[in-house]
Amino acid sequence: MRLKRIFSIAWENMKQRRLRTFLTTLGVVIGITAIIALASLGEGFRVSITERMEQGFELDVLTVIPGTLFAGRRQPFTDPEVANVRKVSNVSVATPVMQIGSVKLYNGDRNVTAIVGAAVNFTEFAEEVLPDRFRFEEGGLPEHVRNDTLVIGYKVNHGNETETAFAHPNDEVTMTVSIPNTTVPSFIKLESYNFTVAGTLRKTGTSGLTSFDYWVFMPLDTARRIYETNSSDLIFVKVHDPEFSESVAEDIEALFPPYQITVLVPIAFIRQVDSILNMVNIFLTSIASIALLVAGIGIMNIMTVSVMERTREIGILKAIGAKNRTILTMFLAEAALIGLVGSLTGVPAGYGLAHVLSYALSGLATPQQDHVFQRPEVERATVTPIFSWPWVIIAVIFGIAICVLFGLYPARKAAKLDPVEALRYE
Amino acid sequence: MTALLEARGVKRTYKMGKVLVPALQGITFDVEGGEFVAVFGPSGSGKSTLLHVLGGLDRPDEGEVLVDGISFSTLNDNTLAEVRLRKIGFIFQFFNLLPRLTALRNVELPLTLADMPEKDSIRKTEDMLRLVGLEDRMNHRPSEMSGGEQQRVAIARALINDPKIVLADEPTGNLDTTTGGEIVELMKRLNEEKGQTFVVVTHDPAIAETADRIIYLKDGLIQRVKERHGRS
Repeated sequence: MRLKRIFSIAWENMKQRRLRTFLTTLGVVIGITAIIALASLGEGFRVSITERMEQGFELDVLTVIPGTLFAGRRQPFTDPEVANVRKVSNVSVATPVMQIGSVKLYNGDRNVTAIVGAAVNFTEFAEEVLPDRFRFEEGGLPEHVRNDTLVIGYKVNHGNETETAFAHPNDEVTMTVSIPNTTVPSFIKLESYNFTVAGTLRKTGTSGLTSFDYWVFMPLDTARRIYETNSSDLIFVKVHDPEFSESVAEDIEALFPPYQITVLVPIAFIRQVDSILNMVNIFLTSIASIALLVAGIGIMNIMTVSVMERTREIGILKAIGAKNRTILTMFLAEAALIGLVGSLTGVPAGYGLAHVLSYALSGLATPQQDHVFQRPEVERATVTPIFSWPWVIIAVIFGIAICVLFGLYPARKAAKLDPVEALRYE
Repeated sequence: MTALLEARGVKRTYKMGKVLVPALQGITFDVEGGEFVAVFGPSGSGKSTLLHVLGGLDRPDEGEVLVDGISFSTLNDNTLAEVRLRKIGFIFQFFNLLPRLTALRNVELPLTLADMPEKDSIRKTEDMLRLVGLEDRMNHRPSEMSGGEQQRVAIARALINDPKIVLADEPTGNLDTTTGGEIVELMKRLNEEKGQTFVVVTHDPAIAETADRIIYLKDGLIQRVKERHGRS
C-alpha cells in the first residue's frame, strides 16, 4: 500500500482518538520543549559569556611571566631575552613591563594609593600593545615621553567616584616607592620622586586577570634608574592574529629552559571556558532528553494498548490481504506522526520558554560588579536564547526517531499477530 | 480441467492449552470454477478451520492447498497475503467490518491495499455497492446499518478485487431467517450472474440445500458429498 495512504489512514485513526492522541503527543511536546529551551538558553549563555570574555581580554596580547605555578623560579627578564621574544615569528610587538608594587601618590594635601605601579615603554605598551585600554579622560601621552611622566588609572584618580579627581594633567605629584635594600633584603627604604601628570585614563574595565583602572604608569627608564636594575618582570607580547597565539606561546617557551616561564594565552583560556560551557550544554540537553525518553515510553504504552484494542481490526486487515509490513507501517506511521506533530509544536514552545526564562533570570541577576568583565553599556546580565536551524532539525528528527523507536515493539507485535487468533479476539 | 481450488490430504491439529485437538484429519476435495459449494457440519466439525486453511489464513500441518494452481506451501507470509488480496474473498459470520470506516471505505479497503488510485477505486466501489443493493448506504458506518446491510457490505468487500473464490463462514449465522435468506439469495445471484465461485461453510441445512454440491464434514473428515442434479 502506498505510504501516503498509510499516513492518511494513520492520521484518521489518530483523529478518532482525540484525547489519547493529544495526551500522547503532549509528552513529546514537553520533551522537545525542554530540550530546545535548555539548548537555546545554554547556547545563549555560552555565547554571552564568551563575548564578555573576549571583551575582557585582549585576544592578541600574550603575557609572559617568570616562573610557573608550581615549579621553577626564575629571575626577571633581561633586555636580550625580550629582544629574542620580539624576534619570534608572528609577534608584532614585545614590550617589557616592570611591576613596582603598590605606590602612594601625594598631590597637595590629598593622597591616593595605587595597587599596581607599572613601568612601561609608553610608545610600545600604550600605543601598540593596548591602544584600546589607553583612552584618556584628560590629557594624553606627550609626543616625547619625559622621565617624570605619569599616567593615572581611573580608579586611582577617582577613588570611590564621589570625590573630585585626585589630579589633572600637568599637576605635580609626589610618588613614594619602597625600595628593597640589596644587601639586607628585609630592609626597605622609602623614597619620594616628583612626577608631572601627563594624562588620566577613562575606565578600562578588566583586561585579562587585572584591571588597569587600579594602575599607575611611569616610564620604564625612570623606574630602572630608581631601582638600579636592567631587568623587567613581565613581557607583553602582541601577535599579528589571535589564531597564532598558541604557536607563538610555544615558540616563546622554547626560548627558555623548561618550566622557567609561563605564557598566558587568553584565547586558550577562552577556549577552555568555551569547551566547559559546551559540556555543560550537552549535559543539560541530555537531562532534558530524559523527558523525551519518558514520552517515548508513554507512546509505547499507549500503542501496546492500542494494538490490543485493535487486534480484531488487524485480523480483518490481514484476512483481506494486508501484509505484515503494511500493518507495521500503519502503526509506525501513527508513532511518526505523533513525533512530528509533537516536535513541531515543541520547537516554538521551547524557544518561547527560553525567552520567558531568560527574562525571568535577567530580573534575578544582580547588577555587575564593575571590575569583573565589565561592559559599560550593559548593567544587567542578559542571556538571549539562540535560535539555530540545525538544532531544530536535530530536535525534530530526534523526536520522530524516539517515537518510531518506541513504537517499533508494539507495531511489530501487531504485524506478527496470527490472523486466525486475531479474528477470534473479542 | 484443473480445479480452481484443491485440498490434498489437509490435516490441522490445534493445541488448546495442553490438549491437542485434531480439527482436520485429512481432507481432500476440489472446487471447480463457478461452483457454489456448501461445507455442512455440526459445530466442532472443523468447518471454520477448513475455511481458514483454504483461504490461506492458516497453514495445514500436513497436506496441501492450491488456489488457481498455486500451492500455498510454497508461499511466504507476504506472498500469501498477496494471494488473499487478489484471489480470495472472505465473508464472516460477524461481518468483520472496520467500525470506524463507512461502507464505502470498508469495501474500498482491498483496492487501497492493492494500490488502486483513489479515483478509480471509489467508482468501482460505488458500482459494487449498487450491485449488492446498498447505493443509499454508502456513507453509513457499520453501527448505523442493520445486520443484513452489514453482511451485504462484507460481501461487496469480498468481491471488490474480483477474487477467484469467495469463502463464507456461517454468513447467515448472525441474521434472522428472512435476512439470512436474502443474503443467500444474493450470493446465489452473484454465483449465477457473475459466475462467482463460492465455498460456504454452514450448519444450516436450508443454505446447504441451495448449493450445487454439499460436503458433509464430521470430526475433521469428509463423511460424504452430495451433488445436486440438473447441473453440469
